[in-house]
Amino acid sequence: MVETLQNLALGFSIALTPGVLFYAFAGCVVGTLVGVLPGIGPLAGISLLLPATFGLDATRAIVMLAGIYYGAMYGGSTTSILMRIPGEAASVMTCIDGYAMARKGRAGAALAIAAVGSYVAGTVSVVALMVLAPPLASFALRFGPPEYFALLVLGLLVLAYMSGGSMLKALAMAALGLLGGMIGIDQMSGYFRFAYGVVELGDGIGVVPVAVGLFGLAEILATAGLATPPSVIKPKLRELLPSRREWSASAWPIGRGTVLGFLIGIIPGSAHIIASFVSYAVERRLSAHPEEFGRGAVAGVAGPESANNSATSGAFVPMLALGVPSGPIPAVMLAAMMVHGVSPGPLLIKQQPELFWGFIASMYVGNVVLLVLNLPLVGVFVNLLRVPYPVLYPSIVVFCILGVYAVNGSVVDVWIMLVMGALGYVLRKLDFETAPIVLGVILAPMIEMALRQSLAMSDGHYGILVTRPIAGALLAVGAVLVLLGLRPLVTRSLDWRAKLALAGTKEERL
Amino acid sequence: MRRARRLGFVLLASLTALAGAARAQEPYPSRPITIVVPFPPGGVADLTARPVAAAMEKALKNPVGVVNKTGAAGAVGMQFVATGRPDGYTLLLALSSISIIPEADKLFGRPPAFTVDQFAPIALISADPTILVVPADKPWKTPKDFIADAKRRPGQISFSSSGVYGTLHMAMELFAHAAGIKLRHVPYAGAGPALTAILGGHVDALASGPAVVLPHIKSGQLRPLAGWGDKRVAALPDVPTFKELGYPDAEFYIWAGLFAPRATPEPILEKVRQTVRAAVNDPEFRAAMDKLETPIAFKQGEEFRKFFEADARRLAEGVRQVGRVETP
Repeated sequence: MVETLQNLALGFSIALTPGVLFYAFAGCVVGTLVGVLPGIGPLAGISLLLPATFGLDATRAIVMLAGIYYGAMYGGSTTSILMRIPGEAASVMTCIDGYAMARKGRAGAALAIAAVGSYVAGTVSVVALMVLAPPLASFALRFGPPEYFALLVLGLLVLAYMSGGSMLKALAMAALGLLGGMIGIDQMSGYFRFAYGVVELGDGIGVVPVAVGLFGLAEILATAGLATPPSVIKPKLRELLPSRREWSASAWPIGRGTVLGFLIGIIPGSAHIIASFVSYAVERRLSAHPEEFGRGAVAGVAGPESANNSATSGAFVPMLALGVPSGPIPAVMLAAMMVHGVSPGPLLIKQQPELFWGFIASMYVGNVVLLVLNLPLVGVFVNLLRVPYPVLYPSIVVFCILGVYAVNGSVVDVWIMLVMGALGYVLRKLDFETAPIVLGVILAPMIEMALRQSLAMSDGHYGILVTRPIAGALLAVGAVLVLLGLRPLVTRSLDWRAKLALAGTKEERL
Repeated sequence: MRRARRLGFVLLASLTALAGAARAQEPYPSRPITIVVPFPPGGVADLTARPVAAAMEKALKNPVGVVNKTGAAGAVGMQFVATGRPDGYTLLLALSSISIIPEADKLFGRPPAFTVDQFAPIALISADPTILVVPADKPWKTPKDFIADAKRRPGQISFSSSGVYGTLHMAMELFAHAAGIKLRHVPYAGAGPALTAILGGHVDALASGPAVVLPHIKSGQLRPLAGWGDKRVAALPDVPTFKELGYPDAEFYIWAGLFAPRATPEPILEKVRQTVRAAVNDPEFRAAMDKLETPIAFKQGEEFRKFFEADARRLAEGVRQVGRVETP
């Protein structure tokens, strides 16, 4: 422990030098921007700035790139809450309750809670990263395709909790999303599926255009279709901060989101969005008022926002401890290290203590910077809502198109977004929720890949999914969840969903 | 008003025409040049393209930028350049997969996204032989052990790859075919996940560029068995090549080369070739490639064409041997 503290002191002595501090700050600012702009996510942001770091030394470069990464997780909530446009994919869940809070005039509270939750998650998960990195990393590597498949099946079960309305409708939307996720090159055989000769569809339909279209564009279309435009929400300054009740309602979700996000983030290959939607589902299940979810529940913002931030630190565990590219973003950062002549691998912490501990310390510093940066911005951002709709909405559409185009420089992505916008509009009119579509699109290719890789490993024997201990245990948990879900059918008692329907919450939603 | 607008149109149209004419006569280069990388940032192609672009910019005193145009395992970016304007302002930095993709398209009987002869090869920049690694806790100490065991249990020893028909897959298949063995393929989405899989012990073998696996060899987690190059890898002098072991057909490199659209005028191509020659001798470029532990293998003109064609032939043969993949 003394050794850890000594190392940390070394780290801070590096992180607080003006040069490193400056690049941490620059990274956080860029990250916040990247997070705020719809479409451009942390991966695109880091990739764009990677060449700019070639002239720096390794520590500064890594500190700046990491700043962009977790800065984006802070910034991503802003447009989700204010405009129902996910700033980056992991903020999709925040759109639901964050935006609902904004409609009730609680945008400031939602933004503040997202920032504080991100800060707590960021700081706590760095402690975990520091103490647990080596042992956890080896454990995380034991997650192969069968384990990943089991985890995703759990995620799929969670989909059933996504909707406040009809279970049938939610499952129909999830199925639609899963079907959409089938588009693209079959990763196992190389066949093009449903691409109709469009090469760009080879990679399938991206999450970003789907989410921006279904949430953001559909929202704008729906608003434009109203006979009388909704009154401009004019937040009062003293209502910017969350109330005591809102703070206490978000304390536990932030804690749970932090732990959950970190654990899911460690697993190689998992996406932040999984951390955030599992957190959302857990909060809803544990909540005393599940009916509030979707209508502006604070917990629905606090949990997922904390989870996606702490997943960022989690993703660094295999990267730093083992040199394993645990996802696309850590892969780019490993490349950045190699460009600087640092060979990442299991020996990194021993051979480059300045880099490792400087990096850890800079994350503490960076999280403080982000909190200081984001809290005052809450006031500024909330004022965006004062802009009259005829000006605000067309500019949002422009930003959506630019952002989606910027991700891959692909016009096909823009078309996908526009089509999804139209689809989202129609579905809203028919009172379908669109979140399950997005989750289906994300999950389908992952589940398929994991299942078929597992079967390739076992030469087609399904036993591999239950005989490996971690996979077996996860699937057993899933089975218990299903049984719990079936219990009301047997005992004829009402579950929360039925109670919800009885409570007569069939209010007209936008 | 309407007339004024029409006049505006006419003016605009003639201006554009003028600009087009001027462009045809302007000396090359007088605008920024773009190198298209058909893969995401941080990969081999991207990390090679950026120092090349920087060195070319220095030599030409004209901006040279890198654009990542990703999708469909590189097909999107390659098609973009293949059908792009042949004016020397759009170049392509491609890897071996440029010869694999059209061949795979042929195999599935679909209209090819592009063909190899839509490109004019400019220069080979780097060529890295893959090496065969296995987890250190596996019993195979030498390539002979590995091959003997694979013969005993056909289709039981598994390997990960960067994707079906990807470079790492093709390397392994060329070896398996040469050695007369059958291995079990588990494709992953990229070289990173493929490495993670072998480190986690989920597969038994991997063909990989030396730079990414060296740290794991040094830490004792992976054991190198053999290399695909025609010479041993400098960092691993004790690891034999497949050629030494009597499998000359298993020659394979992950290479990076520069291409232009086929119809690019010869004087412009010559200018680009000169620039690239200057660029690869730039000390900063050499230092950048050193850090990446990627060996520079500069080849131009006839020499590159021969290398490219021999490589394309081997890969085409490899794709045909693999055939359409049957998966569970």
